[in-house]
Order: sequence, then structure tokens, then C-alpha cells
Amino acid sequence: MPITTTRRRLLAGSAAALALPAFARAQGAVKPRLTAISQWSAGSDGAAITALGKKFEEKGGVWQHSPVPGFTTEMMNKLRAQIMAGDPPACSQLKGPEIAAWSKIAPTVDLDAVVAAAGYEKVVAPDLAKLHKPAGKWIALPLQIYSTNMLFLSKRAMDKAKADKIPVTWADFNDLAEKMKAGGVASPIANGGTRPDDGQKFEAALAGISPAAYRAAIMNLDKKALEGPEIKAAFAQVRKIADWMDPNVGAQHFSTNLKRFVDGDMGMMIMGGWAQGVLRNAGFKFEDFTIAPGPSDNGKPVFLLNADAFIFWQRKEADLQAGQTLMAQLVMDPAIQTMYSQITGSIPVRTDVDLSGEGWSEGQRTTSAALKSAIASNQALLSMAHNMAQENGMTAAMIDVITEYVKNKTIKPEQAATRLADAVEGAR
Amino acid sequence: MSNVATMKPVRPALPEWVRRLPEYLMIWVPLLLSAAHLVSFSLWTIWISFTPSTLVPVSGWVGLRNYSSVLASRNWQIAFDNLLLFGSAFVLLSAATGLALAILLDQRIRGENVLRSIFLYPLAVSFVVTGTVWSWLLNPGLGIQKLVHDLGWTSFKFDWLIDRDMAIWTIVIAAIWQSSGFAMALFLAGLRSVDTDIIKAAQIDGAGPVRIYRRIILPSLWPITITVVVIQLQFAISTFDLVRALTNGGPGIATQLPALVVYDLMFQRSLLGRGAAAAVLMLLILLAVLLPYAAWRYVQRRRAAHA
Repeated sequence: MPITTTRRRLLAGSAAALALPAFARAQGAVKPRLTAISQWSAGSDGAAITALGKKFEEKGGVWQHSPVPGFTTEMMNKLRAQIMAGDPPACSQLKGPEIAAWSKIAPTVDLDAVVAAAGYEKVVAPDLAKLHKPAGKWIALPLQIYSTNMLFLSKRAMDKAKADKIPVTWADFNDLAEKMKAGGVASPIANGGTRPDDGQKFEAALAGISPAAYRAAIMNLDKKALEGPEIKAAFAQVRKIADWMDPNVGAQHFSTNLKRFVDGDMGMMIMGGWAQGVLRNAGFKFEDFTIAPGPSDNGKPVFLLNADAFIFWQRKEADLQAGQTLMAQLVMDPAIQTMYSQITGSIPVRTDVDLSGEGWSEGQRTTSAALKSAIASNQALLSMAHNMAQENGMTAAMIDVITEYVKNKTIKPEQAATRLADAVEGAR
Repeated sequence: MSNVATMKPVRPALPEWVRRLPEYLMIWVPLLLSAAHLVSFSLWTIWISFTPSTLVPVSGWVGLRNYSSVLASRNWQIAFDNLLLFGSAFVLLSAATGLALAILLDQRIRGENVLRSIFLYPLAVSFVVTGTVWSWLLNPGLGIQKLVHDLGWTSFKFDWLIDRDMAIWTIVIAAIWQSSGFAMALFLAGLRSVDTDIIKAAQIDGAGPVRIYRRIILPSLWPITITVVVIQLQFAISTFDLVRALTNGGPGIATQLPALVVYDLMFQRSLLGRGAAAAVLMLLILLAVLLPYAAWRYVQRRRAAHA
């Protein structure tokens, strides 16, 4: 719409003109404005970012969010087009190593001063902080955290198996699955069959068997670790998981199975914390399921981090710059993080937020406790399946091997391990 | 343009090219624009395929590295094998189905118009819809297999969609359902254009219907057969939305096709250079089909001109 654009430009222009005399502290003179793009348009994600926008407006800002629904890659295509046209949004959704990759194609905002003023660095997990300051300076801010390897247990399936102990190690997990099968649970595992879902089965298996091997092989792409025995063991565990799944799952989304999971027709699901929000939105009650950290053979929780974040792109307009400062302050604010996570079912990035109060679920408290414990024992790792450990190209090459292995039961764990190492070499 | 000469010129002084200017504008401007679009973007893609571009296009030269890495990747190898299987099975079976339908419809039956519309109708449905509907029909837990089980035949098995060896055939099935109506329409037009005098003469000579089809009608259909095959082949090579909706390349990566690999490399893995190389490889496959066809057309025309 050409008319609105002109009007907007006029507004921005006059705002900038007004701002000129007070150039040093722009925020006082201009109305902060923020152009943002993200994929969050519907459901709890859409509700959360809308609530964030409301807070932005309450502080006197102009909120201009353009959601790009669908996959993250579609949002990225829009972002790429805008950057190539020389008109990046003031801020956009982006996460993990993609922050470093994208920061090389367009100038970003140095957020060090705002972050220091908020004392934010002390309260963020170190591995996570590193991702958001690829060249040593903060250019992006994490917004919320999910663990991708939470274990969801169906209450009714547990009753059928006559079990009440939450499995801690993979051996416990396998025992329980057998018991469920014997107790009449049709499919002990309730996962779906999408690419990230298959990736999650593998990363949960490997990280639970050996967090050190996961860090070396998946996060650091160490050649020796990629050919190590832990990788084969992880593939063997993935095969067990696949055998306990509904054979008709195909490429279905995990949410297709939720009713059967709650009914006790399916027993356990290895999924991110977001499944809690999906279960609640589908009308199921907290009594229907239990959430626990994913299996870990050393007994201490392993936390596979997935964190949504905003990256800030350099703009010359004074009102946009003021908007970026305001947005950064909001994103780091404990009250805002509380509001956001309570809507989406995630946990706050800040490790100093108290989750004991009303509005938090038992699952969120468990997740948060698991994160604290995992950071203390150096078992907070970055998720591969959700593009936190590697850039998209490398992740996709790994998931190719994993998803083929999950669906093709004639591939041996040793073969899969060799293929994984080869795929990593090919994608380097 | 023979009727131009018979028209009464309004202003006889106007030179020929001015009078024909609207025609030239109508034909050449869009033609040149689209050709420029096509050619310039093809050249641009070819150029990108030799650069180290990842997130955004960059200049630079990596020689054939993008090509060798695409050709060595498992995804591409599977996609290429699938294309050979899918392409030949789909083209042969859809042409055969289309021909069979056309012959049946050609028997001067009642309700031909209704039947023709029904068979042509799938063509009006978008491939995404076709893919989604068939993904439900073919899912063993939801569709045909479950229906037959519920009817009482519990040992019935039809799980191609989740069988990595057979999954490619589900795409063949859906594609045939979608486009055999198109082949039928072309064949029907061909059947109707056979000279009825020859058929009558054959009937007088005592030839039965089977013989008439085998000896007279089918041989005269072969130019149309070639058209059908070429059109369906180029469709097969560029198949994208159908697979994306039906199997999304799965189970695992068992039903990858070249167009899926191109999209995946360019937009999901952000490897523009490799994606462009895969796109150029697809173009080469297309040319392998289209160039012989063009040569054949050229020979045909030469022969017709000499006759």
C-alpha cells in the first residue's frame, strides 16, 4: 500500500527531524518504534508476542510486528529478501548459530551497553550467552528457553503398566516401555515422525548416554567422537524407540497422537516443553500426564537447550533506534520474561526468576530445576534437532541420516554411525 | 494472415508495418519480456551455481565444487533414482490409463460429457490438495487399509505410504489420478480426428472393432502419444508440490525428488550455490527430454514440407 508507506515515511522523517536537536538521547525526543518479523502468528506463540507488543505500546512505543506464519525457514526467506533490499527490520526472530551466520551479511546493533546496564550476562547460561555474541559483542537477546528432551508420561499408560516410578536412565526407560507393552499399551512411545522429531529421538538418546560425547561429536563436530562407541549406542537406543512407536506414524506431527497418549493407548513421549502448551490447548488436564527430564545414564538431568531469540539489525532512523533500546530492555526484564513464558509454557532465560508462584506449572518448575542442575554439572547442551548446535545446513545433513535410520530398520547402528560421520564431513 | 488482404483497408496510405503494429506489439513484447526473464534468471542461476554463495548470493568462483558435492550427496542420488522410476512409471501408466479411458469414452456412450468432466476434474485440483487427500487415503491407520479392516478383512495390507520401498508408488498413483484425465482428453481428440471414411471402408472390408483399433486408429495416434509423453515427462521432472504434500520426501528420505532437493538446499539449508547447482542439473535433465523432442518436431516439419 503505497499511501501508508508514504505516510509512514513522512512520520518517520518528521520524527527524525524532531529528533535531530536531541540527537544524543534520542529516546526522550522521539516516539520509539519497532519493526519486527517473526513466525509467531497463532496459538500461544502469537498470544505471547502480542502481549509483548502491548507492553511495548504501554511504554509509549509504536509496535509494528509482521508475522510470517509457517516454518522458520519461511520467516528467514522474508528476512533475506528484506536484507538484500537494504531494508532489514529493526529486530527479527533468529536463533542459535544462525545468529553468527546472518550477522555476517548485514550490520547488527551493538547491545553491550544495554546488556551491561541490566546486569544480564550473570543470569544467562554461558553456552547460550556465547551464541548471542558471536564476535564478542551482544547483538541478539534470548527470549525464552525450552528443553527438547523432556519426558512426558501418560498417567493411564503408567496405570496399565502398574508403574509409578519415573524412569531416570535409559535402562529404566526401556524397562518401563516393556512393562507398558506387556500391560496392553498399544504403542509405548507416542512420538511423531517429522524430521525434527526424529532428530530429537537421537539427540535425547546420545545426550542421555554421554553428555561429553554429545558435546564433542554434535556441538564441536569432533571426528573421533563422531566415530565413537557412544554414537552407535545412541543409534541402538533410537532403534528401540522406533520399534515401540506406532508403525503407521509416517511423517505425522506429534500432536496427532496426543489423544491416544492421554488415553493410555500410547505411553511416553520425548518432546520439547512446548508439548505442555499443546496438551493444555487441546483441553487435556495436568493430571493426565507427568513431565520429567529426559533419561540420563549418570542420573543427573541433561538439558538440551532450545532458545528463541531476537537479533537487532542496524537502522539509521532515530525512532527505530529508540525502539530497539526499549525492546532490548523489555526482553531482558524478568517481569516480561515471566509473562511471556507463562503464556507459551517455556521457562525464562534468566536463571534468577522464581517459579514457585502461581501461574507456573509443575512441568515448568521441573524444567527450570533441571536447567539449574544441568548448568551446575556442565550438562546443559545445545539442541541439534532444533538448530541450536549447528547451522541449518549441517543440522539438515545430520537429520537426513537419522530420519532415514528411524524409518529403515535394515540399517545397522554401526552403518548409521559411519553415515553420520560421512554426512558431517560432506557438509563441512 | 490471408484474410488481411481481403479486408477493405480504411486508410490505404498506411504502410504495412504500421497496420500490423498492434499484432507485433501483442506478440513480441510479451514474448521478449518472458524470454528475457527466463533466460536472464537461468543465466543468473548458472552463475550462482559456480559461486560459494550460502545465505545470500556472493561473487567468487568455486569451479565445479557445488556440482560434485550435490552429485555425491545421498539425497541427490536417491532423488535421481526416484526420478527415473517415477518418471517412466508415471508417464507410461498415465498414458495407458488415459488411452484406455479415451477408447471407452469413444464408444458413443450416453453421458459422455458428464464422464469426461469427471475424469478431467482432478486436473482442476491443486497438487497440494491431491497430495494431502491421498496422504489420508493411503495412511494405513486412517484410510483404505483401515476401511477394509473395519469391513472385516483384517489381514488386508496396504501400507505403501510408510514402506520406504513402495512409497514412491504412492506418488505414482496420486499423479496418475491427477493427470490421466489430461492424457484422456488429448487422446480423445486424436480418436475423433481419425478419418471416418477409412474406418467405414475397413468395416465394409469386414474388419472387426479390435482390428480397426489395432491397425487404423492407434497407429494414427502416435504423434499425440509423443506429445502426451513429453508433456507428462516435463511434469514428472518438475514434480514438487505433490510429493511435498503426500510424503514430504519420506519415509526418511526414500521419496526425494530433484525439485525437493533444490528447494531444500536453497531455502532450508541456506546453501544457495549448491541449490543452484542442483537446479542446473534439473535443467539438464529437462533438456535431455526436450531437445530430442524439438529435433523430432523439426524432422517432421521438414518431411511434411517435402511431401
